[in-house]
Amino acid sequence: MEDMLIYFEPFTLPFVVGSLFMFAVIVTKWSFWLMRLPRVDRVKIRRGLFTRQTLLGAWEVVRESLLHVRIFRTNPVLGYMHASLAFGWFLLIVVGWIETIVYLGLKPVPLQGHVFFKYFAPHLNLDAHYAVFEHLMDALLLVVLIGVGLALFKRVRSSVMGMRRTTKHVLFDRVALSALWFIFPARLVAESLTVALYGGGGFLTGTLGTYLAKHLPYEILDILCMQSWWFYSAVLGLFFVALPFSRYMHIFTEIPLIFLRRWSLSPTKERKSYDNFEVEACSRCGICIDPCQLQADLGINDTQSVYYLRDRRYNMLSLKVANNCLMCGRCEAACPVGINLNTLRLNSRAKRRNIPNEGRYRYLQGIDTSSGAGRVGYFAGCMTSLTPAVQRSMERIFAAAGVDVWYADRDGGVCCGRPLMLSGETDAARKMVECNRALFRKHEIETLVTSCPICLKVFREEYNLEGIEVLHHTEYIARLIASGEVRLARDSSIYTYHDPCELGRGCGIYDAPRTVIGAVGTLAEPAHSGRNALCCGGSLANTVINDGQQHRIAERMTAELEATGCDTIVTACPLCNKSIARASRRPTQDISEIVAKNIL
Amino acid sequence: MRNIVFGYGISRPRAIDMDNNDLRKSGDIIAEMPELQACIGCGSCTASCTAGRLTDFNFRKLHTAVRRGEYKGVYAELSKCMLCGKCRLVCPRGINTRGLVMLIKRKLGDF
Repeated sequence: MEDMLIYFEPFTLPFVVGSLFMFAVIVTKWSFWLMRLPRVDRVKIRRGLFTRQTLLGAWEVVRESLLHVRIFRTNPVLGYMHASLAFGWFLLIVVGWIETIVYLGLKPVPLQGHVFFKYFAPHLNLDAHYAVFEHLMDALLLVVLIGVGLALFKRVRSSVMGMRRTTKHVLFDRVALSALWFIFPARLVAESLTVALYGGGGFLTGTLGTYLAKHLPYEILDILCMQSWWFYSAVLGLFFVALPFSRYMHIFTEIPLIFLRRWSLSPTKERKSYDNFEVEACSRCGICIDPCQLQADLGINDTQSVYYLRDRRYNMLSLKVANNCLMCGRCEAACPVGINLNTLRLNSRAKRRNIPNEGRYRYLQGIDTSSGAGRVGYFAGCMTSLTPAVQRSMERIFAAAGVDVWYADRDGGVCCGRPLMLSGETDAARKMVECNRALFRKHEIETLVTSCPICLKVFREEYNLEGIEVLHHTEYIARLIASGEVRLARDSSIYTYHDPCELGRGCGIYDAPRTVIGAVGTLAEPAHSGRNALCCGGSLANTVINDGQQHRIAERMTAELEATGCDTIVTACPLCNKSIARASRRPTQDISEIVAKNIL
Repeated sequence: MRNIVFGYGISRPRAIDMDNNDLRKSGDIIAEMPELQACIGCGSCTASCTAGRLTDFNFRKLHTAVRRGEYKGVYAELSKCMLCGKCRLVCPRGINTRGLVMLIKRKLGDF
């Protein structure tokens, strides 16, 4: 009887054609992306392929592509929705596969034979030994159906899943999404109707099938059964055809991305083929929308990372969307796929504006406005010249510790280059990098202290300052306190600390400022702090929003700082300081100021 | 501290011919950033300028010239700007000066 199974019926065609088309497109895409990788990246792949990283990558694929552990951490219900669709469907395929093998032994069965097995082999279901499979498959189908139900429910009330706003989708996504929602109910109906005709089935299809058999005449069941299989195959085919062009391409892109990332590939300032993996790994889940303050405070809803990646992917990225981002990194911290959103957006800007010009900034040649001498160099940064109290406080702290300091820019200096990089002018920024680096080398400093986190990040990441330790002033002060070189008196003030984006998420410095504040007074944490800290709105990265909009962001976040009931708001970035001071009714000071005033 | 230059000084007498100046580019720029019309010409942008401290770069003069339809040499001169953004922080009218530098350069190209 088994030999009589031929796995062909006209209704399987939409599925077969759709899935073949999908695999062809995916393989073509992957090959193009991989072939176009720069040599450096290909070398990295070769080196990484046979290391432990590959195994760790496989484990990460299970955790993230199937179970979606990171989304569970964001919100359990949302996590269940994603995991039930991904892992549930995966198990349906795997268990279905095993089911076929158990029934038929190891025999070559074409793809549609597995997928529509219930249709091709309804008479095999009757054996009681296999009932366990029927129940198992029904249970898995139920898991996925609940996921689909939640997905539908999320469209109506996303707040249940911890999301205030969900993504607005493009047409292709809507087609794929609708097809996806129909797949599993269609499967349930088709299998139940088959059960109604032939018997068998698990607790779900069996019950439904028996019910249908009782209430509908055989002729109608027969017609409906065929039609339901046609419908199931059609929605599957439609989904597969739409998949490579819709957000669901993420299913197949996240897997290579995880491995490539494990082999230490990453996006750079210049666009390259690797970016495709990151861009198309975005599932447009929309988790990045809520953390965005441009959305929450200003109601701007076309520029969040999900929309930026979408626009970039479909080649419809506007200058405004590329530029309208604070680069605060809150979305990057929330992204369950771990896409390097800031780097990608920056290299989009670079593509548009990076016009090499050798003659540019010729005036920087030979410039040296520095003063003083010492092994420790202090680079206040452009912004610090607008907060002279920081410069004065640092000088007091250096004097108290008895350190000789070379001041790079007390009388005006050269910008660190990062503002240009943030606007995509990476080549022009190199001139500034070279100019400052030459100065640091010329004056033979061993430690470089800066008060500006914007400068700090570029010193650490772009300057290649081997032999020179680069520290933010909070780190430097924390060291002076720990070594006893600076002794401080404690006061009774309550301080609230605002984590600057560039210092916290940008450079990973969270503890040093808190240690320093703890040595001076009492620290009160605001509602959002550390990795979740809000942006002050003054970010140099955004050249689209206007002054009033910047101020509104600052007001919202400052209100949260004031809500701690603190006496003084403390921050560690001159730019944040400016934004907060303007919006706050309480004194706003840099960390160096509260230290300088408490020196014993 | 050295003397702070507020961007004012004695300029050579000259006539600005608004009838013959081509104001289309200038109009484009103002249309994209209308807040520029709120400029009171205080010169704070120039006074705080990092590049202005190292060269004779004068942003107040440049954007004033552009508004009057005088574009010659502006692109090359604006290329001296390091985009550090201090001018935006000090502007008493809240003009997005940093965005303005980029906007003027984009509109003028190699004028």
